[in-house]
Amino acid sequence: MNFLQFMMANRQQVLDLTLEHITLAGVATLLAALVGIPLGILITRIPQLSKPVLGGANIIQTIPSLALFGFLLPAPWIGERAGRLAILALALYALLPLIRNTYAGIQGVDPAVVEAGRAMGLTDRQLLFQVELPLASGVIVAGVRIATVVSIGLATIAAAIGAGGLGEFIFRGLAMVNNQVILAGAIPAALLALFADFVLGRLERRLGSLRSKS
Amino acid sequence: MTIHSIRARRKQIISKLLLLFLVLLFLFPVVGCQRHADRIVVGSKNFTEQLILGELFAQVIEARTHLSVERRFYLAGTFICQQAILAGRIDIYPEYTGTALTAVLKQQPGGDKQEVYRRVKQGYEETFGFRVGPPLGFDDTFAMVIRGDDARRLHLQTLSQAAQFTPQWRAGFGYEFMERPDGYKGLVASYGLRFAEPPRIMDLGLLTRALKERQVDIIAGNNTDGLIPALDFFVLEDDHRYFPPYEAVAVMRGEMLKNHPEVQAALDTLAGAISDEDMRRLNYAVDGEHRDPTAVVKKFLEQRRVIN
Amino acid sequence: MLSKLQPITGEDARHSTLYMTDASTPAPAIEFDHASFRLNGRPLLQDLALCVKQGETLVLLGRSGSGKTTTLKLINRLLLPTAGDVRVNGRRTADWDPIRLRRSIGYVIQDGGLFPHFTVERNIALVPRIENWPQARVEARVRELLSTVGLSEDLASRYPSQLSGGQRQRVGVARALAADPPILILDEAFGALDPITRSEMQKEFRALQQRMRKAVIFVTHDLREALLLADRIALLEEGRLIVDLPVAEFPLSQHSLVRAYMEAFSGCQDPHPGTK
Repeated sequence: MNFLQFMMANRQQVLDLTLEHITLAGVATLLAALVGIPLGILITRIPQLSKPVLGGANIIQTIPSLALFGFLLPAPWIGERAGRLAILALALYALLPLIRNTYAGIQGVDPAVVEAGRAMGLTDRQLLFQVELPLASGVIVAGVRIATVVSIGLATIAAAIGAGGLGEFIFRGLAMVNNQVILAGAIPAALLALFADFVLGRLERRLGSLRSKS
Repeated sequence: MTIHSIRARRKQIISKLLLLFLVLLFLFPVVGCQRHADRIVVGSKNFTEQLILGELFAQVIEARTHLSVERRFYLAGTFICQQAILAGRIDIYPEYTGTALTAVLKQQPGGDKQEVYRRVKQGYEETFGFRVGPPLGFDDTFAMVIRGDDARRLHLQTLSQAAQFTPQWRAGFGYEFMERPDGYKGLVASYGLRFAEPPRIMDLGLLTRALKERQVDIIAGNNTDGLIPALDFFVLEDDHRYFPPYEAVAVMRGEMLKNHPEVQAALDTLAGAISDEDMRRLNYAVDGEHRDPTAVVKKFLEQRRVIN
Repeated sequence: MLSKLQPITGEDARHSTLYMTDASTPAPAIEFDHASFRLNGRPLLQDLALCVKQGETLVLLGRSGSGKTTTLKLINRLLLPTAGDVRVNGRRTADWDPIRLRRSIGYVIQDGGLFPHFTVERNIALVPRIENWPQARVEARVRELLSTVGLSEDLASRYPSQLSGGQRQRVGVARALAADPPILILDEAFGALDPITRSEMQKEFRALQQRMRKAVIFVTHDLREALLLADRIALLEEGRLIVDLPVAEFPLSQHSLVRAYMEAFSGCQDPHPGTK
């Protein structure tokens, strides 16, 4: 049977694995955003931290992904469940784009606007939430987009350590020497990534146009 | 309200909705884990024997219960299978008692078959809440294999007997066998083996051919390897009981059994149903004769009246 | 070339209200008491002594780098003096809560400094909103201010990028006036406008000031603008106050720097001949 028939015949499994994949990438990106965006804001406030924080995130990204999975395996609690491990590793990989884009986005806000805001008596918090973050939001969402797409891609490797997801189809298909199974994993994974890129790209453009309204 | 504040309000609402949508998109998978209503997922590792056993479990459950079974075979190894069953992504998979004891429960090997089985059953119950089914009847342990004509000519049955002749033989082993603590080193120590020259190390797949073509005289293979009967090889008995037992059992998730106790009853019918010979023949049917595992298993079950 | 700079002399000091306060006169809205500011060892402002009374418009005149912007930033505590004091309504800026201080000072900069992602209405309503005015009052105030600065109400839902330079500047002024602060500081507010619009804005601002009687400090490097808008002109050069004179006396001063300015703008008529 051709590839589409194969997908239909195994649609339950395709759905299961796709859901697993979205969970891995989604939770990881969410975690990374919850840590990375505040960190990015922090280093705009405390410039001395910017070098170590950005440097640290950079180093993590440089570690080959499979090696990072391997490092985390012996860790207590984390290494016991492949799902946890994969989510942690994926979240670590997603940190750099989020921290860096938050930082760059806020730094890139027109300093005259920020100063005007401060001169009018906005508190630091009001400045952050009403001026800096909205104006930086386009760049920040670009960071989210990159982080999401990277996570979806890396999550395929997570299957190698038993975390499931669409990568499992790929690895199983390789062991079976069965192209249809491989594609049943590869194609949905690629489509997921493209879809996320598209949706977040649209959001990014809408938010980015706010900047140019000056 | 003036027109401009209405418009501004509307923009706020739209951006809040968008935010909500994105949050939901991320949360949805976490919440949407309510699968596996009336479905049992059977997993297996990625070699022939495992595929056959997985298919065996699947067909028995399908025949004897009203449940539908999904197959998730070719998982890349013990660790992957263990993670998958822990996370509930699969409900059942075939495991070997020896592997379960050392690789999963991380205990020291030792004890006879019954002892190992007991330790595994208890360990899995207490640590993971998994139920271990009764042994299927065969032992896929390491086998020291020689050519049939050598065995007959020299009247060899056991490894101890063969030990007298090994100084004249060349041995061939796989990488893993050389590295494992319960592999080459321990074997040589246990039987006091010596060989004509250091063993040749090669891929598992090439060992069989090397033995056949008389490039080596003794290899370490698997006890249930399909090619053993086909190529007229002989398995020397491990009379020192050096190799740990690797009895095949079904590992089942306790959660799943709570919801579907009939699965346990179905798989228990396989207790002791497959001998070493049976497994070798099944393996050969797939590896040697290149028949479809599904058909091979179906035929077997029909013949044994396990299913009609 | 300018000759060596002279600090403020005794003759000019007579006109500085610093020396004329007595118990019955209320504290000046803004007072610089020998304030200095250094940055990384460089002195940006030295020993400034200056006053602005409520209702008075002081124009700070000077070249770029003369310390005008630094002076403004000392008022709303974007900077603190490294020596001496700056007082607003009698209290040292260092003793003020910075947020309260800034919200009682209206600030207008070139091109308005408007928030690009806020509508005109939201820009103007900024300080009232963060001061938690009731919604109805905010809306009424915005309408009132739009009319005050001469803008039509249907611009309220536009974004700054959709406005002309002159409109943006008016919105900037409206925003500064929104919470009715007693003090206004303007930093080259009309500098980016074309000459005709600029002239319009100057005249309208003059009229506004005469109605509102706020304490205003207006920074410019344009002498004509200074002569038009000021009650007093303070001339700064390289961080020092050179002269501080009522506007009518400024063109008559014989100080070398004043003469240099007058010549640079030669052909420029005193816009109020015979008045004041």
